[in-house]
Amino acid sequence: AAPRRESSRLLEVNSRRVLDLATRKRRLNRQLEALEKDNFQEDPLENLPDLKKKRPKFGIPSDQEEESETPQPSKKKKRLRSDHFKQRFRKTFAAVIEAERLATEKSDRPNYFTISSLPSKIPPRHFCAVCGFFSTYTCVSCGTRYCSVKCLGTHQDTRCLKWTV
Amino acid sequence: LGNTIILDNGASSLKIGKVDSQISIYPNSIFRSKSERRKNFVSNQIDGCKDYSSLFYVLPFQKGYLVNWDVQRQVWDHVFGKDVLNLKCNESNIVITEPHFNFGSIQEAMNEIFFEEYEFQSILRTNASTLSSHKYNNDNPGEECCVVVDCGYSFTHIVPYHKNVKVSEAVCRIDVGGKLLTNHLKEVISYRQLQVMDETYVMNQVKEDACYVSMDFNGDMETCKLKGKDNIVLRDYVLPDYTQIKRGYIKVGYTTPTKSQEQMIRLTVERFAVPEILFHPSDVGIPQMGLAEAIMHSVSKCSEDTQPHMLRNIVLTGGSCKFLNFKQRLEEDLRRLAPDHLDICLTMPENPVTYACEGGLRWTKTNTIREHWLTLEEYQEGGQAACARQFYDI
Repeated sequence: AAPRRESSRLLEVNSRRVLDLATRKRRLNRQLEALEKDNFQEDPLENLPDLKKKRPKFGIPSDQEEESETPQPSKKKKRLRSDHFKQRFRKTFAAVIEAERLATEKSDRPNYFTISSLPSKIPPRHFCAVCGFFSTYTCVSCGTRYCSVKCLGTHQDTRCLKWTV
Repeated sequence: LGNTIILDNGASSLKIGKVDSQISIYPNSIFRSKSERRKNFVSNQIDGCKDYSSLFYVLPFQKGYLVNWDVQRQVWDHVFGKDVLNLKCNESNIVITEPHFNFGSIQEAMNEIFFEEYEFQSILRTNASTLSSHKYNNDNPGEECCVVVDCGYSFTHIVPYHKNVKVSEAVCRIDVGGKLLTNHLKEVISYRQLQVMDETYVMNQVKEDACYVSMDFNGDMETCKLKGKDNIVLRDYVLPDYTQIKRGYIKVGYTTPTKSQEQMIRLTVERFAVPEILFHPSDVGIPQMGLAEAIMHSVSKCSEDTQPHMLRNIVLTGGSCKFLNFKQRLEEDLRRLAPDHLDICLTMPENPVTYACEGGLRWTKTNTIREHWLTLEEYQEGGQAACARQFYDI
């Protein structure tokens, strides 16, 4: 029999990895979380081991404080209390919000969750992830928006399927 | 009664007002600098730092809520202490602000710290927008309603007030604030031009200097496609190097790129696409209403006879309102959404950042504030329950 004719274009298209909706949603959430970050670089004090003692530790009661304790009773009391605070109020935002969720579950009063704005009635606009202009196309693989062949090229070379931020 | 101070405890800055003196603003953060690695800069100590590049932020707030108490304590200790305010806490009363519907555990911690650690004579916990409402009603006698739009660092709240009482059911939060805008600007510039992900401090200045709210979004987009001098949106921003250039600035006039020493970034669509997120959070994929839509939604939840008054008394507060054209654009968007026969009137205070604090100072001079205080004795007697009763619905 004659050899099967193959389209090189179809071959390429079919071998392309396509992210499903759930993955795309996860990526979007990661991007939104990145917009809430305080810092992207490392703590400049983190890599100075010899100075560790001098650095006030956030969240961890430092043993240095105890060493330098003075015999004055009132001061001691105060210091102990501040340690107590560190222990008691050490909660992450996730923990605080979980506690709030449990506390408000059965209440019909307004709270953190109910006052969040509803989705807009206006359809979302789309912007090219590369240049920022309005976009009409969607990357087949990852769902990122782009506006032109040129921008698609840049996108595929730099970010497509390798989003790390 | 002793001295009274107002502490508008924002996620990015503390606004502190004392009776009969100027309101002062201090950063609510501890900083670490790349150049002076051994040092922690607490709050306004950062003024003594010479190099703001790659500044590292340790913030007490997360998503607008106070969670890092150790950091917050260090900042408060410094600001109340002898280096700054030199406050005698046990002879003072304090008005403190907190976000709307703050979490119970945070409120309890606040009571405990202000009474047991700092030993204030009496405290008054409230929302910043409540203070703004007091200020607005004081400046505009005859008006009973107002909508406070508080567009801050972590998020934006829309809060209608009737006779200085919050209409709780109508409060609305949009999760867009100054921090998100700065981070977004950082992100797009880093991808398109120059890696600036570490430069939060510098890029925040770029945002404040160069970004504006567009009055014609589609038109400005078209302008940005033009080349050369026709592109009137384009600006070159010279970044600081902290040796010769201490602060970044916008280069005047259109210049062709030269091989000069200075490091520049070229801003085009970013100038207005970044603040645009406040008006369309969906632009970055946040499934929420924009400012104008959310204001209309919030007002629609108020009782019908107050609605016309609400729309006539909208007051804009918070640092993120300071973008050029912010008021005009919001007015235009609201006009399109509101019924034709209703008036729309927005007020942009001279300083939207300190407005709440000014309101607090004004309020302390009136008699209506008296019943809102909680004294140390009452706390010692009633504990957290007394606080919860007194500061209900904050």
